[in-house]
Amino acid sequence: MSGGSAAQRVLQGQALPVENFAQWRDAARDLLMHGVAPEQVTWGAPQRDDLLAGDLFSSAPPPAAPSHNVPTPPASAQDAPTRPAPHIPRSFMEMLQSAACCRVPDRWAFLYRVIWRWTQGEHDVQSPADEDGARLNGMVKAVRREEHDMHAYIRFRERPIEAGAPRFVAWYEPRHDVLPQVAEHFARRMGKVSWMIATPEASVLWDGQTLHETGPLAHNAQELEDDGEALWLTYYRSIFNPARLNAGIMHQHITSDRWKHLPEAKIVPHMIGEASRGARKVGQYEAVGQRKGTTIPIAPEDAQPERHQHPSKLDECRRCELYQFATQAVPGEGPKHAQIMLVGEQPGDQEDLAGHPFVGPAGQLLDQVCEAAGLDRSTVYVTNAVKHFKWEPRGKRRLHKTPGQREIEACHYWYEKELASVKPTVIVALGATALKSVLGTATVTLRDSLGKPMRHDGRWVVTTYHPSYVLRVPGEDAKHEAFSIMVQGLKLARELLDRPPEESSEPGLL
Amino acid sequence: MELKDKLEILADAAKYDASCASSGAPKRDSVDKDGLGATTGMGICHSYTPDGRCVSLLKILLTNFCVYDCQYCVNRRSSNVPRARFSVDEVVKLTQDFYLRNYIDGLFLSSGIIQSSDYTMEQLVEVARRLREEHQFRGYIHLKTIPDADPRLIELAGKYADRLSVNIELPTQDSVTRLAPEKNVHTIKLAMGSIRTKLDEKDDHPKAPVFAPAGQSTQMIVGADASDDHTILSTSQTLYGSYKLKRVYYSAFSPIPQSPSSVPSAPPPLLREHRLYQADFLMRGYGFTAGEIMPEAGNLALDIDPKLAWALANRAHFPLDLNRADEAMIARVPGIGLRSAKRLIDLRRLRRIRWEDLSRLRCSLKKLAPFVVTADYKPAQGMASSEHLRRNMADAPQQMNLWPELQAA
Ligand code: SF4
Repeated sequence: MSGGSAAQRVLQGQALPVENFAQWRDAARDLLMHGVAPEQVTWGAPQRDDLLAGDLFSSAPPPAAPSHNVPTPPASAQDAPTRPAPHIPRSFMEMLQSAACCRVPDRWAFLYRVIWRWTQGEHDVQSPADEDGARLNGMVKAVRREEHDMHAYIRFRERPIEAGAPRFVAWYEPRHDVLPQVAEHFARRMGKVSWMIATPEASVLWDGQTLHETGPLAHNAQELEDDGEALWLTYYRSIFNPARLNAGIMHQHITSDRWKHLPEAKIVPHMIGEASRGARKVGQYEAVGQRKGTTIPIAPEDAQPERHQHPSKLDECRRCELYQFATQAVPGEGPKHAQIMLVGEQPGDQEDLAGHPFVGPAGQLLDQVCEAAGLDRSTVYVTNAVKHFKWEPRGKRRLHKTPGQREIEACHYWYEKELASVKPTVIVALGATALKSVLGTATVTLRDSLGKPMRHDGRWVVTTYHPSYVLRVPGEDAKHEAFSIMVQGLKLARELLDRPPEESSEPGLL
Repeated sequence: MELKDKLEILADAAKYDASCASSGAPKRDSVDKDGLGATTGMGICHSYTPDGRCVSLLKILLTNFCVYDCQYCVNRRSSNVPRARFSVDEVVKLTQDFYLRNYIDGLFLSSGIIQSSDYTMEQLVEVARRLREEHQFRGYIHLKTIPDADPRLIELAGKYADRLSVNIELPTQDSVTRLAPEKNVHTIKLAMGSIRTKLDEKDDHPKAPVFAPAGQSTQMIVGADASDDHTILSTSQTLYGSYKLKRVYYSAFSPIPQSPSSVPSAPPPLLREHRLYQADFLMRGYGFTAGEIMPEAGNLALDIDPKLAWALANRAHFPLDLNRADEAMIARVPGIGLRSAKRLIDLRRLRRIRWEDLSRLRCSLKKLAPFVVTADYKPAQGMASSEHLRRNMADAPQQMNLWPELQAA
């Protein structure tokens, strides 16, 4: 800027010519450092002289504070005490920069008032609940909206290859000064394809590598012939569902001054007319409905997909409600006639997705316990008392929920089937739910039966913790203890293989 | 058949799928690169059609030939509609051409089931593969997943697509069995589960290959069966919780040409669909559970929005002191949105909230008045009954007439 620093010029009673945000920012910094109040400043558009003075185009930063290179300022400004440059948070600065693109006549004065108030400690000047803040936010919003609209509603038309670059041209009339940032958006989008966006104030050209400002241009994009556009109109017409006609919403989204840029605008009235006149009962586009149709001659049996996983009977189970909320029923797994059967509570989140028991964190712990107990997991049959995952929503996750007596009873049907086919000698109940299911009663508690072998229906039943309990119990000592109780439980199960359980068919503790 | 004719038929056939979003893809650009396309993560609606829905993607079917006979679907094998099939190249070219003209943000490709699930899925994947690998297309791609397809193909689809979706279509197993005999809720859930497993893997191991970075979604048709909103929301909750869905889209059933008698001949009110979206957003954005929104069987109220309905049914929480309540609870006040709740909390750090602040934040004063306390405001003593408030705040009847043409029909 010619004629000294911003503060000097203000004190000399001159208007501050500002054309862009960078200039305003430098001027504002200087004014703030000199404590110049907003009421004292007149912000003006740059005069022709100013432009010719060269400062606007020079790459040198405008002087921020008086220095010895600058002609001696008048006494008043020199005497004004200089404060340290204010520190403005970046997010706030970005907000100001964005608002500066808003075409309101007093934008520089308003922005200066805002930043002044902020440096005076009035930080709620940023908040929409403040009067200036509300306006500032409104300006930012208007600018964002315009950027968005341009991203969305610019329509490129293709020029014939022979015409050379640019291959695509668009014409648009922006409401605010957003062309530079919008051009960058399209530069990122179009790769090495050349294009030009023309507006009444300025134009930009992308040559495939660099953006060039080319000044205002008479608009001519509309006159290009473009076959792509005809296809687009076809698409637009067909994707519209006349049974849902709701033109009001459409107009809410695209205001009429935006519409005029859109090629589809010219067919909209006809589409609305057709849809409402015909009181369409079906969503089909008329031109499609008029064509000859075909049914597909295929017998229903042949249309049945070959499902990779044939749903088992278990998968069709509806003995309780749980099937509705789970992905799949998780059956037991293991050798057909395993001697030891481990019964857990129910599949968890991972098991529900995988379709196999004990594959999640609890499964990994179970592996460790088996190893410590000298039990090869591949020799045991592992199943759950309840075959579907029971859970409740917690935020966006599924939180395990203990099955109720009703579900345990309902699912007992499947447990018995497994029992009848595997015929294990020893059953290990992992946790209270399993115990209830295995004994078919809720009267025996986990605590009472831990580690004590029981005879039940001609089999040995051993009770121990569920691996999840080991994972969950707080404190390292408690974890270790629970872990070793589990190991002992499995060791006991191994030992029991050699003892006939048939001595008594009465259930009871030994 | 000309390209234009195919486009006419295959866009028409695709319009019943409500998903349209193009958000959530990782940021990409084409600066100094071959090919084209960028994603900002936000998604852009490039136009709106007179049904009020946005156009952000080229939404088409690869083909509307289909061997399935889903009763609610215009493309069912027994339907007498004109059929067409795009070649892979045609879709690839159309996508790029539309993209260059800035009509769209990318492609949403679905298909009727032809030959077999695997064959169909292979074709869908091939379009995406060609766009990505041969043409370096960086725009958005959403592929419909055929639930019965080989998981290997689903994995491949996730490599190329930003989003995958498996449509549940109907909210209950019984309805699927009845109306979509070749489909199977079980395989649908399994497909969703396998997508979630892949998404989890990627979350746990950031170095794992890219897989559907914009996640998965699904669609449920509303009003083709007798399921009520209670059932629908509970199914949505199950799907959100189980499969990390980004969105459940609700699509009010549109009567189709030569409708079979197994589906209704009239559409449900579009307002019902709208209320479901509102309720869905309460679950996704506000942390409501389906049970809170719809404690009992039945449909959402049409005359008031679900948040207001919840507040009226839960008066014990109100009036809420805006200077003390936590953000989540403030957001539950009718007339105060998530953003305003956050702004109130920010403002509260500086000073006490006053009535005027609410009007500056453009909250709906009429709605919130009976539910809040501010530094200078308390609702009148002897508060009005919920019934009375409801009558006062019910949406104006003309708003219920969003679809006069349909009612006339
Ligand atoms: S939990 Fe058991 S009883 Fe209930 S539905 Fe699943 S398999 Fe059937």
